[in-house]
Amino acid sequence: MAHDFEISLDFEACKGCGYCLEVCPGNVFDPGGVHNGKGYRPPVAARPGDCLGCQGCFMACPDFCLEVLRAPGKG
Amino acid sequence: MDRLSRKFLRARKIPGTACSGCGLGQVHKRILLAIEGLGLGKDDLVWGTGIGCAGRQTFNTWLGDNFAGTHGRVYALAAGLRMALPRERRIVLTVGDGDAFGIGLKHLLNCARRNLDLTVIVADNLGFQSTGGQYGPTTPPGAVTDSSPYGLDEAGWLGPDLDILEILRAAGATFLARHLSLDGQGSVESVKAAILNPGFSLVHFIYPCVTHFGAVSLAERDKGRVLAWFREAFGDGPGEPGGGAGEGPGPRVGTGFLKFGRGVFHSAPGSRPDYSEQVKDWTRKMARGQGGGLATGNTP
Ligand code: SF4
Ligand code: SF4
Ligand code: SF4
Repeated sequence: MAHDFEISLDFEACKGCGYCLEVCPGNVFDPGGVHNGKGYRPPVAARPGDCLGCQGCFMACPDFCLEVLRAPGKG
Repeated sequence: MDRLSRKFLRARKIPGTACSGCGLGQVHKRILLAIEGLGLGKDDLVWGTGIGCAGRQTFNTWLGDNFAGTHGRVYALAAGLRMALPRERRIVLTVGDGDAFGIGLKHLLNCARRNLDLTVIVADNLGFQSTGGQYGPTTPPGAVTDSSPYGLDEAGWLGPDLDILEILRAAGATFLARHLSLDGQGSVESVKAAILNPGFSLVHFIYPCVTHFGAVSLAERDKGRVLAWFREAFGDGPGEPGGGAGEGPGPRVGTGFLKFGRGVFHSAPGSRPDYSEQVKDWTRKMARGQGGGLATGNTP
């Protein structure tokens, strides 16, 4: 089944604070293992199919690097 | 970059300067959500910044016109701009607690007295954090900081018996609200109301400084527990007073110090004239020769 939401995480703009991971009620994120250019390890949206679209991660993210979009055709 | 930053911010300023986990970007985001919600664009708004973490995070980030003040003086610059610019051009200032409620308080109160149509967003990290964590006018009682190693014993603007919002209301401000940087749509609505109010508005956002206030005053490096302390200290819902004795993570800082929690504190749009409009009217009359002396055609 196609996902209802797509999570876009800008790997280089993330500061790895982990708030998205902490607030997510759908357990969508996993801790990341790869460092970006600034030395942070951005989480990974490992289970986008479990996203409820609550925008909690977007509201909690202190950097302009995360957004939750409706998947195409899921208007 | 996300939708908001692509729409409103300069790409070279992303990511911002704040520490990982600092709540400052959450405040920045809520302002942009309010601007987006009101359908405003880069030419509709001029953005001024103060000094400190808040000024640095937002300095020159806005895609439209920006200006920056020296410490505590951006209100005076904004007052001049307010008299020069047409009402349709909004002026938003992002400043810190030391800037607004410390060194710049006199300028801030005079803007409130004149009810100038400005939107001041105070991003409050509960002390002077960009200089390494000294106490300031909103640091909670008992807090251990660089400059209060035995715990702060000085009365602050955030209780227990005073509230800076009361002072600003008495000075003539016509919209005042307080939020946590973690608050949801309610905080965005407050910023929208502040921008729409044709007079002096201030939204006081408290946000977690994880690097100094969290790590030193709360003696807590776990960001989740730092956030829990903020939720307890600043109430669970709009308008509720800050929590009681507190089982918060910070053994050195209690949470029952606040007089007013979160939400809209005062809203009286249109109850007082905006002095900048009076000045514009007067200048127009002078230019038409009705007041004598200044009929130079140099109308604003
Ligand atoms: S929108 Fe809600 S459910 Fe979806 S990833 Fe973000 S926090 Fe999780
Ligand atoms: S909340 Fe934002 S900055 Fe923090 S880890 Fe998640 S995406 Fe990165
Ligand atoms: S010092 Fe504190 S307030 Fe300043 S950017 Fe870092 S975490 Fe934020």
